[in-house]
Amino acid sequence: MSATLTQETGFSRDAVVALSEMKNEPTWLRDARLQAWDVYESIPMPARTDEEWRRTDVRALKLGNLHPFSPNGHKEPSLESLLSGFEKGGVTDRDAQAGILVQKDAATAWAEANPALVDQGVIYCDIDTAAREHEELFKQYFMTQAVPVDFGKFEALHAALWQGGSFLYVPKGVSIEEPFRSFTTSTHPANSVFTHTLIVLEQGAEAFLVDAYGSETFEGQSLASGVVELILGKASKLRYVQMQDWGRDMWSFMTERATLASDATLNSLHVTLGSRFSKSSIGSHLQGEDALAEMLGISFADGDQFFDHHTWQLHESPYATSDLEFKTALKENARTVYSGLIKVSEGAQKTDAYQQNRNLVLSREARADSIPNLEIAANDVRCTHGATISQVVPEHIFYLQARGVPYTEAQKLIVEGFFRPVIDRIPVEEIQGFLEGAIARKVGI
Amino acid sequence: MSKTPLFEVENLHVSIEDKEILKGIDLTVNDGEVHALMGPNGSGKSTLAYVIAGHPDYEVTEGTIRYKGEDILEWSPDERAQKGLFLAFQYPTVIPGVSMASFLRMAVKNVREARAEEIALNGGEAKPFTPREFRKLMREKMEMLKMDDSFATRYLNEGFSGGEKKRAEILQMALLEPQLAVLDETDSGLDIDALKVVSEGVNALHDSSDMAMLLITHYQRLLNYIKPDYVHIVMDGRIVREGGPELALELEEKGYENIRKDVAAAAAGN
Repeated sequence: MSATLTQETGFSRDAVVALSEMKNEPTWLRDARLQAWDVYESIPMPARTDEEWRRTDVRALKLGNLHPFSPNGHKEPSLESLLSGFEKGGVTDRDAQAGILVQKDAATAWAEANPALVDQGVIYCDIDTAAREHEELFKQYFMTQAVPVDFGKFEALHAALWQGGSFLYVPKGVSIEEPFRSFTTSTHPANSVFTHTLIVLEQGAEAFLVDAYGSETFEGQSLASGVVELILGKASKLRYVQMQDWGRDMWSFMTERATLASDATLNSLHVTLGSRFSKSSIGSHLQGEDALAEMLGISFADGDQFFDHHTWQLHESPYATSDLEFKTALKENARTVYSGLIKVSEGAQKTDAYQQNRNLVLSREARADSIPNLEIAANDVRCTHGATISQVVPEHIFYLQARGVPYTEAQKLIVEGFFRPVIDRIPVEEIQGFLEGAIARKVGI
Repeated sequence: MSKTPLFEVENLHVSIEDKEILKGIDLTVNDGEVHALMGPNGSGKSTLAYVIAGHPDYEVTEGTIRYKGEDILEWSPDERAQKGLFLAFQYPTVIPGVSMASFLRMAVKNVREARAEEIALNGGEAKPFTPREFRKLMREKMEMLKMDDSFATRYLNEGFSGGEKKRAEILQMALLEPQLAVLDETDSGLDIDALKVVSEGVNALHDSSDMAMLLITHYQRLLNYIKPDYVHIVMDGRIVREGGPELALELEEKGYENIRKDVAAAAAGN
């Protein structure tokens, strides 16, 4: 049972104070929230005159009707029932996970981490706990480096009202193969969910984290305003998968920035399936030499969904590599925008950057826009990009039909095939199965 | 009353983009019979194959195609396949990301389910088909066609050589067990060893069932391995000569040009 929402709707300074009081937060934390609130108030709402928002209209989102935060929740007795909305989340073997964190309306309903890892100094907990028990780490990394508070309007709001979230810290040299699994769900209408993921890998550390967001569809509008901060120390390796499957009432804003020190490797995959409106800004700062960022994306929009993905490959140091592939399928009246920038700073010689965006349009009414961009200030680099917008090849459908496969199933096979090469790049079968299941359900709509 | 033929094409006229390709084809195929349809490039052989399979780009302007006495022209391509028609494509399509095994499982499942319904309608009882049986059947058939195990995990026809694609087509035929199979230029692109393997596979299927076949080919070569009961020669959208296996040999000897002259002379004599 979720608690009844009694607080008023709309965002305000009072709401920030009320949230901080409800959580019994120390003064420094409350002050940090209030400072963020001031920043939020000082930044105007994004307008279509801003380049990044040119194709994205947020005027229909009525912030005044939303509950600014959720009440404190409680731990729940069974993981099974918590994950039912995620089709068990692909957690077929609990022992094969490094840790599991489930958040229901920003309250932690489940938290477990492999004790052997905890003994090695690994921290995996919600961010409230991180702020309380690991104050120094929190102060050092939370919205200070990857996504600073003044990054933008929604990021500042997030900094004022964040709740829950997950924090993963892996000390120097600790390497973990099994995935950490974070699940976030929203269970009432007109909700605001400020998901936050903060991952800090020290030198030589290796980790894998899967974020899954999901909810049923409620009346009216809800807001998910997420921030993801991935801090990769020297020669560390992070694999990060994010699966967004919110209900259709959700307006989702997600800003992710990774910072990569020298020799660090990031492999990320973003899967976007749910929400009414989704705007994701995903960027990697390649700050050290020989850093490598692989950034993958799968999204499938249907009905009246609007998805907007902006990607940033920011080469700030020489000899770094980035390899990006974002794939989108659309049907019915869906509308998607992809915009990607490869930006190479003056000193970033020998940069190798690749960017590809492919769109598969399944209906006449759907519309995809793809805007690749290059901004290069160095003179010895290799940067390639490509964008395609295509329709299903009728000969493919005919071939499958000629083998007895009905039209809709043929289309489903083709869409799954379109995404397959990206899914195949995820090395864990259980996670592959989880993604396949989610995509298959979506294709089957 | 005589038995209804398995398959009848009657006065079939077909156009694509307003250009008439088939100009009145008549053809009857009974259970278990093997028919060869021969003709030069552009004569309309492949058009007939596509029309039988239900390709949406071709427009039937006149005539009918009946299968077990039913007009099939309104049936979707998948419905035709489910009822037991099969086309081995001359140029099988490459579909990236779709694994051979998952595609075949879906195809077999759909065809089997349709067949089970038909059996149930006729008062029979259809056996359910388990994944284990499917794997066993697939292994068997792949062995028969001397196909490598890795086939199943590869994407549909992606990176397949010409010969591998043709084998994959026959594998599909073997799994779907059609009652009428149209083989469109299955011999093209096959070397002599591959041709033997494929022909043996086709013959084994034919011998173990009452499957009828329509072999579309340029050359006599295929017919050395798969023996036709009847041979039809198509030119310019019409069947101009019909006969037994000896007609293919005559064609091989004379070439299409001489046959064309014979036909023209015969027409002038009338």
